[in-house]
Amino acid sequence: MKVYRVTEKKWTEYVAEILKEFKVFAPVKKENSTDFEEITVEKIGSIYYEGTTPSTPLKAFFFPVKENVVATEQKQARVILGVSNCDLAALDLLDNIYLGGDFMDHCYKENRDHTIIFGKDCDDLKETCHCTSYGLTPYCEKNCDISMSVSDGYCYLSPLSEKGETFLGQFKINDNEVFDCLPEKVIQKRTAMAANLQSQNINIPDEKASRKGIEKENKELWKRHASTCVSCGACSMICPTCHCFLLIDLKDFEKVKNWDACQFAGFSRVAAGEDPLMKLYDRLKFRYLCKFVYKPDMFNALACTGCGRCIDACIGKINKNEVIVEACGQG
Amino acid sequence: MQELNIYKPIRAKLIKIIDESPLIKTFVLVPEVEFSFKTGQFIEVTVENVGEAPFTPSSSPLETKQLEITVMKAGYVTDAMHKMEVGQYMGIRGPYGRGYPLEAFYDKEVLIVGGGCGFAPIRSLLYNLKAISDKLRKVTLCYGSKTPGDCIYKPYITELRETPKFEVYRSVDKTDESWQEKVGVVTVLLDEIEIDVANSVTVVCGPPIMMKFATKKLLEMGYPEDKIYLSMEKNMSCGVGKCGHCAMGHYFVCKDGPVFTYDQIKNSPNIWM
Ligand SMILES: Cc1cc2nc3c(=O)[nH]c(=O)nc-3n(C[C@H](O)[C@H](O)[C@H](O)COP(=O)(O)OP(=O)(O)OC[C@H]3O[C@@H](n4cnc5c(N)ncnc54)[C@H](O)[C@@H]3O)c2cc1C
Ligand code: SF4
Ligand code: SF4
Ligand code: SF4
Ligand code: FES
Repeated sequence: MKVYRVTEKKWTEYVAEILKEFKVFAPVKKENSTDFEEITVEKIGSIYYEGTTPSTPLKAFFFPVKENVVATEQKQARVILGVSNCDLAALDLLDNIYLGGDFMDHCYKENRDHTIIFGKDCDDLKETCHCTSYGLTPYCEKNCDISMSVSDGYCYLSPLSEKGETFLGQFKINDNEVFDCLPEKVIQKRTAMAANLQSQNINIPDEKASRKGIEKENKELWKRHASTCVSCGACSMICPTCHCFLLIDLKDFEKVKNWDACQFAGFSRVAAGEDPLMKLYDRLKFRYLCKFVYKPDMFNALACTGCGRCIDACIGKINKNEVIVEACGQG
Repeated sequence: MQELNIYKPIRAKLIKIIDESPLIKTFVLVPEVEFSFKTGQFIEVTVENVGEAPFTPSSSPLETKQLEITVMKAGYVTDAMHKMEVGQYMGIRGPYGRGYPLEAFYDKEVLIVGGGCGFAPIRSLLYNLKAISDKLRKVTLCYGSKTPGDCIYKPYITELRETPKFEVYRSVDKTDESWQEKVGVVTVLLDEIEIDVANSVTVVCGPPIMMKFATKKLLEMGYPEDKIYLSMEKNMSCGVGKCGHCAMGHYFVCKDGPVFTYDQIKNSPNIWM
């Protein structure tokens, strides 16, 4: 592995250079959260690498909330900084769904191709972070072009893809001091972070155990938890792996791909009015089955990366992990 | 990997509209670009500015210049289709999904059980079976409708009855004096027919409730689970395994189906809804 070391100050100069050729998006601190924002020269200083997952999931860059999939649009090259591993891990599933099979989603492909992703080390954790429960690390080793760790006034940049390597060359970032591994300090921070996550989430079942629990009938449990669900769909919208959409038709046979969610009433209704997911508790359970049973089996990828966003977002105060712990414990 | 833009329909001109019943019309379409499908595959049909819905062509897959869809008026998109006129354009995408595995039918008797608008895919299959009838033992069609007025493809039924190796049995739930054939749900026909179950396969297509009872009956008759072919209907949007709408347990019906053997899906939740 190659690691380039750049001072934090120098890095901000590089970002200014990058801005001349790319659109740049990065996490910025808000009142109670962080979120991706488009960065301008004035905003370089407010990029927030330390925080946890931004409110918007990474998928929104490749699978936008609304996108005209028939009328062609020129895509602009862009760079996304500060992406955490729970968002990156979701790309395994999304790439398999949108790029794999007999048909390729050209919009997703173009959006992916036009983007350089910088992964980061998580330096902070929120109560609901639980990536390690599913075998993930709070730092990135794949699914991004460049991994970036910030420590002691330095940025350590490692290219993880050819695209990343070329990018570092383009801006002469590879003229900096180079090492063949990360400094001990960064590795220690990574290990400590993983250990913190593990102790915080000691009670959360891994994906195999979760699956077993969810597969049980447990109708009462699902009914009880679903009783506070308002079908808002927020849990699916903010989930980095949820990929569902609805095509809406316009004139000239144009179509707009819109985010959709299995938690909405009517998601699976057919013309005669029949609907396998008519009942709220069937919908709630389906979401968990989708994540822990169907998607891993169909696409050989994790469909929950432990980002915790659905727990933070639920108006009904439904805590995915509490539901799973209970499901695993019963019957 | 297929076309560059999987969501962009090709234009198809509506050249003829056939009234099949008060609620069912057949639309004859001429695509602007060459288009072909295998029997049992479906297409996504767009009504501009309104919406899109999946249909299985009801014409012969061997006919490549034009194709037909038979559409029951059932809601938003299908209502708009029923209001369309000759000369207008629909958009079509596809063909999608896996159709009927015809090779698996060779040297066998084929029993087809259908109901309601399930006749659309069945007619396409029948056209195809006729073309390969030297490879088949016999084809038996058992078809159920609500009333005699709901019986579609009348001229085609007459033609089929005169075709060697093809037998047609029909029933209606509610009768009137015009009806000379069987009365009752479609499964009553299965008691009438003579069939060599051990050397046959069966195809079922129709409303979920009919499929449920037909499958039950076919199992009782001794059909193995992997010799019962079912066409599943689920809500669909993309048709190409991306949007999640047609999820049925471990399958996306659009890409893994819509034709499944009972054996494949018997453990999936809500197959009959
Ligand atoms: C593989 C397959 C093959 C089929 N073959 C045939 C066939 O040969 N003949 C036939 O008659 N039928 C066939 N069907 C059924 C046919 O697709 C439905 O009848 C059709 O989808 C009904 O659409 P509708 O909009 O008229 O009905 P609606 O009940 O209005 O809508 C059906 C679904 O679309 C959604 N919807 C409604 N309005 C909108 C809107 N404005 N925007 C987005 N979504 C909306 C609804 O929520 C509902 O989920 C087939 C279905 C499948 C899955
Ligand atoms: S976020 Fe909560 S309330 Fe909203 S649909 Fe999901 S489970 Fe239901
Ligand atoms: S299910 Fe919840 S915790 Fe898991 S990836 Fe989706 S939003 Fe994150
Ligand atoms: S079915 Fe539901 S849980 Fe599964 S990907 Fe779609 S919206 Fe997400
Ligand atoms: S219709 Fe979109 S996944 Fe099947």
